[in-house]
Formats: sequence, C-alpha cells, structure tokens
Amino acid sequence: MRKDVLIIGGGATGAGIVRDLALRGVECALLEMGDYCHGASGGNHGLLHSGGRYVVTDPPSAMECAKENAILRRTAPFCIEGTDGLFVSLPGDDPSFADPFLKGCKGSGVPAEELTAKEALSAEPGLSAEALRCIAVQDGSIDPFALVQANVDSAREAGAMVRNHCRVTDMVLEGGMVVRVKALDRRSGEILTIVPEIVINAAGAWAPQVAAMAGCEVAMGLDQGSMLVVDGRLCGHVVNRLRPPSDGDITVPNHTATVLGTTSRPAASPEDVAPSRNDMELLLRETSAMLPALRHCRVVRAYGGVRPLPGRGGRGASRTFSLITDERAGNLLSVVGGKLTTYRLMAERVSDQVCNALGARAGCRTRTEPLGPPADEAGGSVALARLRRKYGFKATTVSLADQRMLCSCEQVLRAEAQMVLAGPDALTLSDVMRRTRAGMGYCQGLDCALSLQELMMEAGGTEPLASLTEFLEERERGQALASGDQLRQEVLRRHVLQGVYGLGERE
Amino acid sequence: MSEVLVVGSGAAGLFSSWLLARDGWPVIVVGKGTPSSAMSTGCLRRMPEACHEKALNFLADEGMPMVTGERTGISKLGTPFECWLSPSHSTWGPEGAPGSVTVVGFQGHPSLHPNLISSVLGHQGIRARPLTLPSTLPPDIPLTALFRDEGAWEGVATEVQRTEGGTVHLPAFLSRRDYWRLDWLERQCGRTVLEAVTPLEAPGQRLLDLMRARAIEAGASIWDGRTVTSLTVENGSVRTAIVRGGLEVREMEVGALVMATGGALVNGLGLNGRELVDPFNAFKVLDDGDVLRGGYATKEGRLVSRSGNVVRNAAGAGDCVRAPCKGYGDGLPHAFESAWTAVKALEGA
Repeated sequence: MRKDVLIIGGGATGAGIVRDLALRGVECALLEMGDYCHGASGGNHGLLHSGGRYVVTDPPSAMECAKENAILRRTAPFCIEGTDGLFVSLPGDDPSFADPFLKGCKGSGVPAEELTAKEALSAEPGLSAEALRCIAVQDGSIDPFALVQANVDSAREAGAMVRNHCRVTDMVLEGGMVVRVKALDRRSGEILTIVPEIVINAAGAWAPQVAAMAGCEVAMGLDQGSMLVVDGRLCGHVVNRLRPPSDGDITVPNHTATVLGTTSRPAASPEDVAPSRNDMELLLRETSAMLPALRHCRVVRAYGGVRPLPGRGGRGASRTFSLITDERAGNLLSVVGGKLTTYRLMAERVSDQVCNALGARAGCRTRTEPLGPPADEAGGSVALARLRRKYGFKATTVSLADQRMLCSCEQVLRAEAQMVLAGPDALTLSDVMRRTRAGMGYCQGLDCALSLQELMMEAGGTEPLASLTEFLEERERGQALASGDQLRQEVLRRHVLQGVYGLGERE
Repeated sequence: MSEVLVVGSGAAGLFSSWLLARDGWPVIVVGKGTPSSAMSTGCLRRMPEACHEKALNFLADEGMPMVTGERTGISKLGTPFECWLSPSHSTWGPEGAPGSVTVVGFQGHPSLHPNLISSVLGHQGIRARPLTLPSTLPPDIPLTALFRDEGAWEGVATEVQRTEGGTVHLPAFLSRRDYWRLDWLERQCGRTVLEAVTPLEAPGQRLLDLMRARAIEAGASIWDGRTVTSLTVENGSVRTAIVRGGLEVREMEVGALVMATGGALVNGLGLNGRELVDPFNAFKVLDDGDVLRGGYATKEGRLVSRSGNVVRNAAGAGDCVRAPCKGYGDGLPHAFESAWTAVKALEGA
C-alpha cells in the first residue's frame, strides 16, 4: 500500500508525528512492533517536566520543557495532574546550587517561586523537617499510555493508519531510497508491504536496528534507568532534590501510586531494562531523605526503561533531540533523543521538515487542537471524571450500566476492559492493563488476570495461555526485588499461577 | 501431664494434633488466622511418603469422600491438574478422562470462566463448550448467594440437560455440608459432574473444615483467634508459653510444643526484607535466600535453638520447616509428612 510517510515506532515521538502529519492532511501510517509506549515512553516515571530539572545543566531543554508543559496542560489536560513540583535541598547538598537554579529558571522561562520552610511544609506535609530550601515549579504527572493512545486515536480519526504489534522486518532500497517496507502483523500473521515516500525512524532505543535495515548507522547512547512503584500517594507534589541531576532525586504521585526515580547506567541493549537490588535500595534511601514516610511504604513493583540519548548518552547528554539523515537512504529520517514532555515539539519539527520535503503547505495544528476533554468538564458524574482521566474522549463510550468491578486493587470496571477490547489496539492482556490499569495494584493481576482473559475470549481472543504467560512474565519481572508484604503476595501469586494453573515455568 | 501446645491451626497443626490426641495426649491448638491450607486447592498433589495411610484415615469423610491414586482434574484455567488425593468430584482416575465437557459459568462472575476454559481445553484436544448462565452477582460475593433455594439448583440441572452430552465442569463453591449437591446434580441430569480445581476459594476452606472436625473428634482443643506471644526455653526444653487473645492473657506450662505456624506467606515466619526470621527469636531459621523453601532448622523433626542445640520437647511441622523439596504445590504433602515426623520425634522423647 502507498503512503506519503511511514513512521516506525509507536512511542510518544512516533505517535506525536503521525498525529501531527495526519492533522496536516498527509497520508501516513505508523507501525509499532509491540504495544504503544513499550520502550522509553512507557518505561519512565510519568513526569511532566516544568523544565526545572534542566535549568542549570541544559537550558535549551529547560526552555523547551517549560513551553511544552504549558501547551500540554491546555491540549491534554485529561491525562495530566497539575500537582506542581517542589525542588528541595537537604543538609549535605551543595548550598550554592539554589541560586543558579533560581536564576536559571528565570533565564529559561520556567516559572519558579521560593517557599519558606513553613510554606513548604504546609504545601507538602510529608516533607522532611530538615529541608533547607524549597522552590516551587510547575511539574506535573502525566499518564504516558493515555497520552500516546490519545495521539493514536486522533491520528486515526484524521485518516492515518496506525497499528501496534506490527514489526518491520525488511526494507528494500533502490537508488539510495527506501522504496518498500515489509512488516509482520502479529494479529493476522500477514505481511504488510508499504510503499512510502518518506520513512521516519522513531524507534527510540531500537532506532539503530531500524536504520541498519536500510544500511544506515545511527549513533546512540543507551542509558538504563530504574523506578519503583510505591502503593498510595505519599506526596501531593512532584518532589525533586535541589541539586545537580543525580540518582534517586524525584518522586512523582500518579494515579493511585507514587513513582520513585531514577537511576542511570549504560545499557547493553534496548531490552536491558532490569533494575537491580542496588538500584532499589538507592532509590528508597535517596527519596526517603526527602519524604521520610517512604521508609515504611510497600513497594509494589520495580521497573526500568532505556533512555535513547543522542551521541554517547549518560547523565551529561543533552535531553534535546536530533534528526539524522544518511545519504545511503535519502528518504529515511531518524529521530533521536528528546523527552516525553517535549514529544509534541519534536513531532512538530519533524513534521515541518517532512512537509517541506513533500511540498505540503499545511501548518502544525497540535499546539491548539485538543487531545482530550478538559479535566473539569461540568455536568459529568464522579465516575465519568475518573474514566476521563484514563480514556479522554473515549470515557463516554464506557457503559456504566454494569458497575461490576474487574480489578479491585485499581477499581477498574469490567465495562472499561470491554470498551478497550472493542477497540483495535488491545491484543494481549498487558495491552488491556496499560490502558485500564487492571493488574497494576498490590496483587499484580492475581485477582483479575483470568477474568480479564475471559473478557478477551468473549471478544474473540484465541490464544489464552500465550497471552496469560506473557502478562505473568511481565508482572513477574517487576517482582524480582519484592520484599516484606509484597514478597508474600508474590509467593502466593506464583503458587497459584504457576503451581495450580501450570502457567509459566514450573519447578 | 502438661499439655502439648500446637502453634498453628493449618494442615500441619491439625494433623499433628489429630495424631497426638488419638495417642492420648492432651492437645491445645492455638490458631490466629487463615492458614495457607484454606487458600489451597483442597487436593494433595503427591502422596505423603511414610504416612499416607494415616493421612487417608485423617481425611476420611462421608459427606465429601476423598479419592486417591493417579488423578487428574481441570484447573480453573482449564489446564490439567494432576494429584494424588482430591474430593471425589474434582478429578478422574486413569480410565475416566472426559471426551467432551460443558463448562458452566455465571456471566461476569469470576468463579469460572467458560470461554477461557473451553479454549484451553480445546488446545488439549478435549471438545468443550461454554455455557454461560445469566447473573448480575457482584464478583466479590460467592456463588452460594445464587443457590439459596431448590429452584436455583433445578434451574441449573435443566440448563445442563439442554446441552449435548459430556462431563459438566462447574465452579467450586460448595461447602463441605453441601457437597452432596454434586451427587444430586449428577443423578438429576445423568452426567458426570466435575468441579474446577480452584485455589483461594471453597475447596481449601472445606478441607480445613474437615481437618478441624477430625482433630476435634480426636479430642484436641482448638483455641481460635489467639496468638502465642512468647515462649521460654530452659535447659534445652520449652517450659512455658504466653497465649493472648482479645482481653485474655494466659501463661501456660508446656509439656511439648509443635511449631506449625506456616511459612512467610501467612506470616508464620517473619520477613526482614527478604530474610526469614523466627518471630519468637528462639529457634534457628535457615533460608539460603529462598523464602519458599526456607524455615526452621530441624534435626529428626525436633527444632534447633538459636545456639544450635536440639530442643528436647519441641518439633516443627509444615511450611515453617525448612525442606529441600518444598515448592509450588508441595505445601500440603510436606505438611503431612513433617507433622508425622514431628509427632514421632515428640513421642519418642
């Protein structure tokens, strides 16, 4: 099939580009090998940056973050919580960091205000009493799965073809151009052939592999970061450490949980995401210095992601992005780097360049066009407001006639899963989980996995054991470091799923 | 004669009490909560070596007959479940494998998933059809709520009779008292009726009910909702225990002790991070980094003090005892075997 633009990779970058182009009337397609967000777009702490983190070390990134933060709060309010953020310094932190920080905020256009100790404690009562200086910024939390899905939905509505679980297997080159791209659709097992004018490689950490199919090279540093999910919201704000970017310097309240982040080490491959016991201990130690209650919390899950950074990567690498072209494949454009917060800007710039090359004139519409309903839309019920937070415009398509719960940990209705299953994107149990949050709580799917799979069978699913096993393995990866009550839960879970149902590896 | 104190009222504690009480010992069982036997499938996956005849005798029940041998059932996921002992409607023997199955579930209720199970059975070459009966029962209310009157049972019998032949696969929700219903249903619709092998629900609870009834029959006293808060060990023997429950605090002399507190799963052993610890701080615990297999160190059934000496009148049984083979599905057989070893050790002393 002929397309003006083929985008490879369904993370925030790819989804942002396909939406931007589709809204400009460009005929385009996006193929994602797993589910959307299966790379760094899902493996992060769900932070909507104010820019504060980068004002001292990387002002251009900070500036971009500040602008995009404001745009996203306007266009995608449903998946954002405007929690605001605090930057807090503790005894032992370099006291000379706060002033350049404030100055940097001013210079980069990042709104910031210093709070007195009293103000800080009244804003965030769980904050350590030892906090020395506290600067408030406009950080927020964002649900990357909902954000990317909203981009996909919007692109589809504008006419784009978007498919997940569709892996590009082959590129055919003629005269220094990619003329055909072949992909395997996991759903049907069919091979798709796409004849594109331009190919955009937005495969994140997998970009070098995609480029290699066209005989090109993309230099990229892979950097692993670990995060912990803690049960309950132990802070009202995003709480950052007021010091140069370092390990364990942030806690983000999101949905029903708090996410502690992050660490940094070189990654061997895009799949090298596993957190270590050291990471977990470090994250708990560092973040509980800011919020002492974290010392006694229940860690529900540990996970990791791989940051694809331009050049050689590492903490020092700029978080801006770059576009790489290569004469060996003249119509292949690789997008490298960037951040979740600035995905839209990145998509706009790439789309500008693509439209230039295609001779299309339409301008970018994503700066103003809403991705979802406003957060405080009047007239709706509380139930609907909760659904809106996960499903945006699609919230109203969830039937509230059947109020029965599917997942009691995360309070997910059966009807939510049914709505998701009726859509084109959910192939596996994990796909439903990412969209509904069913299975993300304490019991990590023990209670709801079978019920969820039954719903999938009702919707025409065919391979229950493969789907359950995949889900089980993914949940299990997050439990490798479980301790205390969560370890008990994990032992029970394995007894039941592996011991009784014979799922996964049997001892 | 001082009492034998059994700490823990799960499978290991109850089997030990039954054995001891039948031999004429005064036995007090102290239990604080839900043991893991109540979360089990109510089936034993393998024969407990050395004591299987005793175990069969212990679990003999008229209302809910147990069957043994090489048995196979269908799990709640539709996968094959092999075991040595189960209630009669949970499994079939070597000759009785069903050729076709009707899987009965209640719409939107998690007790059984007919489409899922039918598909999984289909992949094993068993012809299976889902039969989803209408229901608006919330998922956290057990199915018993739908079967309070005779009419509901008649209704299910009628629905089942309408389907084309084969074995009927039902959710497992009946208590020990109501187990006869399955025989009734079998007669009523002329089909073999099979319950799904189900953890965390009725089968584990009714196995526990059965074991409790048997221990009480044999003469053991069960003190529920109580906790042993401390133990004194003097000259290599346990002397006294403090038992608390509600407003009651009782210090008692201990003739002999059986620790059957369960493993980390039910809090019978403490967890310090990922390390197993003895909540009484009296006995040696070994875990080799494996929470599942770790537990109290024993020497021929008897517990070992923290300093490494054998405690003369204290034995360990069940999940709280370290065992090299204890793994998924091995909890109950291990409970029976270790209880047998514990009782022999105490009676020999």
